[in-house]
Amino acid sequence: TRLAEGTPRRSIQLSSIVEKRVFNEDDIINTPKRTKARKSISIKSADHDGDDDYVPELSTPKKTPQKTPSKGKRSTTKSSTSDVSGTPKTPSQKLKMIRSGEIKPSLEKRGILAGSEKGKTDLQIARERLHVSVVPQSLPCREKEFDNIYTFLEGKIQDQCGGCMYVSGVPGTGKTATVTGVIRTLQEKVTDDELPPFDFLEINGMRLTEPRQAYVHIYRQLTGKTVSWEHAHSLLEKRFTTPAPRRVTTVLLVDELDILCNRRQDVVYNLLDWPTKAAARLVVITIANTMDLPERLLMGKVTSRLGLTRLTFQPYTHKQLQEIVTGRLNGSTAFKGDAVQLVARKVAAVSGDARRALDICRRATEIADAAASKPENSSKDSMQCVNMMHVQQALAEMIASAKVQAIKNCSRLEQIFLQAVAAEVTRTGVEETSFMGVYTQIETIAAFMGASTPTPGRALRICSKLGSERLLICEHSRNDIFQKILLNVSMDDIHYALKVNNTN
Amino acid sequence: MKTVDYLERKYPCRGDFIHSLYNLISTPDEDFPPSIYINGHTGTGKTSIVKNFLKICKQKNKKYHAVHVNCVECYTTKILFDHILEEFVRTEVRCETFKDFVETLRQFDVGSGNGYVVALDNADRLRDMESNVLPSLLRLQEFTGLNICVLLISQIPLEKYHCKTGLTEIITLYCPQYTKLETLKILSYNYEETIKLLKLRIKDLDGGSDLEKKYVIVDQITQDFFNNYLNVFLSVFYKACRDVPELKITASKYFVTYMEPVLSGSVEMNDVAKLWRKIVTPLRSALSQVYMRFDKTQDDVISDRTDGHVENHSIRKMVQAFELPFYGKYLLIAAFLASHNSAKEDKRLFVKHHGKQRKRMQTVNAKAKVVEKMSTSLGPKSFSLDRLLAIFYAILDEKVGLTCNLLSQISTLVHLKLLGFVSGENNIMDGSARLQCTVGLEFILYIGKIVGFNVYQYLCDFS
Repeated sequence: TRLAEGTPRRSIQLSSIVEKRVFNEDDIINTPKRTKARKSISIKSADHDGDDDYVPELSTPKKTPQKTPSKGKRSTTKSSTSDVSGTPKTPSQKLKMIRSGEIKPSLEKRGILAGSEKGKTDLQIARERLHVSVVPQSLPCREKEFDNIYTFLEGKIQDQCGGCMYVSGVPGTGKTATVTGVIRTLQEKVTDDELPPFDFLEINGMRLTEPRQAYVHIYRQLTGKTVSWEHAHSLLEKRFTTPAPRRVTTVLLVDELDILCNRRQDVVYNLLDWPTKAAARLVVITIANTMDLPERLLMGKVTSRLGLTRLTFQPYTHKQLQEIVTGRLNGSTAFKGDAVQLVARKVAAVSGDARRALDICRRATEIADAAASKPENSSKDSMQCVNMMHVQQALAEMIASAKVQAIKNCSRLEQIFLQAVAAEVTRTGVEETSFMGVYTQIETIAAFMGASTPTPGRALRICSKLGSERLLICEHSRNDIFQKILLNVSMDDIHYALKVNNTN
Repeated sequence: MKTVDYLERKYPCRGDFIHSLYNLISTPDEDFPPSIYINGHTGTGKTSIVKNFLKICKQKNKKYHAVHVNCVECYTTKILFDHILEEFVRTEVRCETFKDFVETLRQFDVGSGNGYVVALDNADRLRDMESNVLPSLLRLQEFTGLNICVLLISQIPLEKYHCKTGLTEIITLYCPQYTKLETLKILSYNYEETIKLLKLRIKDLDGGSDLEKKYVIVDQITQDFFNNYLNVFLSVFYKACRDVPELKITASKYFVTYMEPVLSGSVEMNDVAKLWRKIVTPLRSALSQVYMRFDKTQDDVISDRTDGHVENHSIRKMVQAFELPFYGKYLLIAAFLASHNSAKEDKRLFVKHHGKQRKRMQTVNAKAKVVEKMSTSLGPKSFSLDRLLAIFYAILDEKVGLTCNLLSQISTLVHLKLLGFVSGENNIMDGSARLQCTVGLEFILYIGKIVGFNVYQYLCDFS
């Protein structure tokens, strides 16, 4: 469906949400809080008086040291010095400053300081280390891929030419983490003067409302200014096609490439066409999930520009997952070895997603915490450890399906209804049943069980309730007795849930 | 309890319903239920009672706010929200989405103890709006945090509302239809109005001549006499129609006819049997016109009484109203024959020298048709334009050229909805369009009579 729709013409505008965030109710047009605002600038963020989420920026943006177009850079520095003294008064002024990048978005600060490292238990430290967002300095089990990307990028930067690379792999296999790790290493080398300097830009397809917004985001990372996509496109076109002295290499990371593909594929084409220009010195690294995306989705000319430099991230095996988790734990004794192995084996069998393994481990630490805090087993040595039982419980919570439980907790008539649907499916042999047939079965089953038969209206209500719980798939009840009903749980689940229930 | 008493007097036989409304949403001091669903047939007084109830509540309490919206008027959700907000907020507000609506309501509410009631008539239209509207309206109390109640008024049962994502719980009130006794009671409340109407009609019909005498007779009409008439009236009408407003109109209309013999002095007022004999024929003929509401002139009433066949009469009038040209009539007959004869029979019916037909048992059996299997009761079949023209030329004795006049008459017939397209509306010229005749047998028979063509002869069901 994403392919079918064209990109609607829409110029960039900050949504009303942003405006609301920026201009709270107390910040009305004609009430300049000049003294207060000035103080907040001079002390800067020490006392944050709540009405700005945007903090004026005194220095030029760090992302673009000297490579920004000279015009843009000059205006940034000039306006930031002049405008800071006269703080923004009207929303439109403020919006203008946001668009020109003179003030940066900031978040409200917490009143209480964060807890220190000392008071934490072993389990808490382990939990923090196991958090998905804590990316380690060097990713374990991805050394080969790291080398691959590193040599590619280093070569491109040293040769001062452009190029493309396509990285693919299922979610949670460390694609983005590896690429950003490579970039970080390269940037360190630049500071050590072992490599010519380069610009690094990144866009993520999922963060764009539409593919053409990619131009806006790229241009904003270059200059800090927000302009309409048409303008951004022409400026970028000018930058990448006209040769300029002292142009440095630009590395552009495009995450979620498949979102950028629309029917015309003009954005993807442009992003991959600029590296072919001699003046551009652009290196594009594209990341997506599917391995055969260029052949499946992209047009011929786009695929040919994407080139054949490709890299596939395989899902982690259980040994690798075990290594990742033990690497994260970093010698802490919070986890038993076989507990980690159980997590690794269970996750590797399903998807090989490292994030999943880390989440399950974190859940296991929480369970262990709760178990340890209970008064009956508060012996000191068992307290600080996650054992197999905790992991089992976490796995059951995060992997096991809740359908049997849901059927068990249905009311009696709902259970009869489910039984009736199953019976109707066995009788007719077709998966899709109509309400009429199911109702006949309800009458039979209810008579058999000695329960009173619900009226069709009540049965329709039961049907819609089961449908909203997704135990069934049914239509709108406006075509009442002719609506089609599908069973969304397996028939064995129903039998299992109700059989076990009956014996109790 | 004054509200209830007043309403019960105004709406007799609806005590239970009014009481439950009163218990649920009478005063803003108590918490309203989040939503109430009211259903019942047409003419059972749902809308009228709710409207009056809300009006009285609003008058009694300044903190009671209520709005009545007809969902048919709201073809977009924005109009619906604007309607509601206009009543509650009373200032110009911009409301585009449900979120804005909830936010406006929440911000508007100042002071405590306010109660809001939103009555939505024809609530079945809510199902056709965006899928979030109905589920979220039912939870409006929860969303806004106000003492707000949403009344849904409709004719269909609640079972027809459940959407795929489910609905929240809702209190259902049912308005049952009135029984015969209740209907009689309600109609008898109409006594004074009917007498007034009768006096007016007398004045209109024969101004001047013995008006005084007639007025004296009218003044003698008692409630009992009127109730007696209503009894007679309902004995004919109640089987066919239980819609109280409809009965009310018809009853007062035919009371004039009922009184005619009394006014002219031919029948005594207390001779009920004779009056019954006089009124029963007009009432029976009126029965076929219930719900149609045409205001007839006096001549029509008289002519109705003489021939008694109202249907024939109306069809004749319809045919005369169309005034089709000669070939147009033949085209329509040809279309009817094409629709109601199977194409297999065409050769036998329309070709002059079609050779001998062998009689077989099968065909004899097939001929012995029951009424249900006749194509006139099964409905018309479709035919192509070529077949229509072929039959047209076969049944027309003279030879006319296939001019554009002739073809344009076909499109005129389609325009008049005497023919209809079944498929291929866009490719008429290449012959793949299929048409269908949409008029009945009586209509065609009458047209056949006008042009002197025996339709029965060419219908394979009858020959």
